[in-house]
Formats: sequence, structure tokens, C-alpha cells
Amino acid sequence: MKKYDFIVGIPCSKLKDLTDEIKNYIPCTREDEAMALAVGAFLVGKKPLVFLQNSGLGNITDIITSLLKPYGIKIDLLISLRTNPEHHAFMGKITKRLLKLLEYEDYKLITQ
Amino acid sequence: MKRIDAIRKIMKDIKDEIVISSTGMISRELYAVKNRPRNFYMEGSMGCALGIGLGIAINSKHKVIVISGDAAVLMSLGTLALHKKLNPKNLKHYILDNNCHSSTGGQPTCSDVIDFSKMAPNTVVIKVSKEKGDAPRIPLSPKQIMRRFRNAIRSHRL
Repeated sequence: MKKYDFIVGIPCSKLKDLTDEIKNYIPCTREDEAMALAVGAFLVGKKPLVFLQNSGLGNITDIITSLLKPYGIKIDLLISLRTNPEHHAFMGKITKRLLKLLEYEDYKLITQ
Repeated sequence: MKRIDAIRKIMKDIKDEIVISSTGMISRELYAVKNRPRNFYMEGSMGCALGIGLGIAINSKHKVIVISGDAAVLMSLGTLALHKKLNPKNLKHYILDNNCHSSTGGQPTCSDVIDFSKMAPNTVVIKVSKEKGDAPRIPLSPKQIMRRFRNAIRSHRL
């Protein structure tokens, strides 16, 4: 975590230990907004990290495909992998495949 | 007022400010009015321009200008709340409001029933006409836009 100087995202109980450590926590409203803030930080030379639940992957698909990919911007993601209860099951099943389909390699999945 | 004239007005006295322009005709018209390395033409990711501007403003001392359209702002209304929460003094947000998606044929938006300028600080709404405009596509690749922007910032880090 020490290599990042700007950490922003949407919380998850599985990531609580991380988010509790953040000074000046920024209350982002959506995952793509957190990603946009991280892009702004990257543009002025910061090393950002974005955290989110895998349920939020759908919300960042557009900014990945139409901003990060074409502009050649890389942002590290810390994603909590939720697979239950039922409303998390489908995204839980396809999370790794979805990231592969998006050709997104700069991520770490947290499973517990 | 035509949208391109609003952009001319915004850019008239520009010095070393960073300008983030939203998707579609706003970026094209900004390129036509005043192309410069400190303009970041956000060609995709509609609705994310203010978020990028906030990320720059709270991580640097650069003065930041964000130019959005009403439809894009409506896509990310939550970001207006975050703007108010963070309230960076070095960011100004212009919303060019034509109450429609002019690039795609003039389909209406809901901008007529809310007042953006009351939702966030340093937010200026300029009512503009609905015409699509005829500015050509930006002849730079996204990677070129990115590289020259970062180089311009790097040579003038605040």
C-alpha cells in the first residue's frame, strides 16, 4: 500500500481494514467517479489505487474501455471478490473472466 | 449564444490553467477555438470530466477548468455532491446547457427542471443554443493528447 499516494474507491466490508487506514477519506459516489479522480491524480504525477467491490466492475467498464485503454492510462485496482449471497453470485462467477475480457491486468482480488 | 461562442468566452483570458473538456462536440469545439497541450480532451467516458478535474485539483495547485454539457453532468450527478463536499478553490466548472444531446440529434435532457449552479460551488451554467455545430474531429490520437498533456504538466509542476 505504501507505493500509492492517492487511494480512493467505494467501500466494502472486506476492505474495511484498508479503508480505515486512509487519511482524508474521500466519499466517492460511484466507482467510475473514483476512477476519474484517480485518473486526475495520475495526470499530475501521483500513483493512485482504486478499491471497489466486484459488483462495481460494471460501473467502471465504460471508463476502462473509452478512457484508460485508448489514452494508455494504467490504474491499479483492489477488488473485493464477493460471490454470495445470491445477488453477488453471477458477478462473482464472471469477475475474473470479465477482467480478462477487458484485458485488465493491473488488479488484485481480495477473497476474504 | 452558440456553444462555440461560450467556449470562446471561457478561453479568452486563459493563461496556464488546465482545461478538461467533456465528450463530443465540446472537446471538438475547444480544439477549434484554442488547441493547447494543457487541454485534456476527454473523448469518451461521458460524465467523468468533473471527476478528473477534481482528481487534479485536490492533488495539485494547478488551476483547473472543467467544461461539461448538461447531459454529461446529469449522468454523474453524484459528482456535483462530491464537488461540494471537497470544494477545491482551484477548480471552476462550466456547464454548457442546451437541454439536449445535440451530437446525437437533439434528444431532450432533464436539465430544465434542476439548477446545477445551486448544487455545487464554482459552477457556472451557460445556456447555449441547440445546434449541433460543425467542428471537425480532433486530429490527435488519445495517446497523443495524454502524452503532451502530461509533458506540459511535468515541465511546470506546482
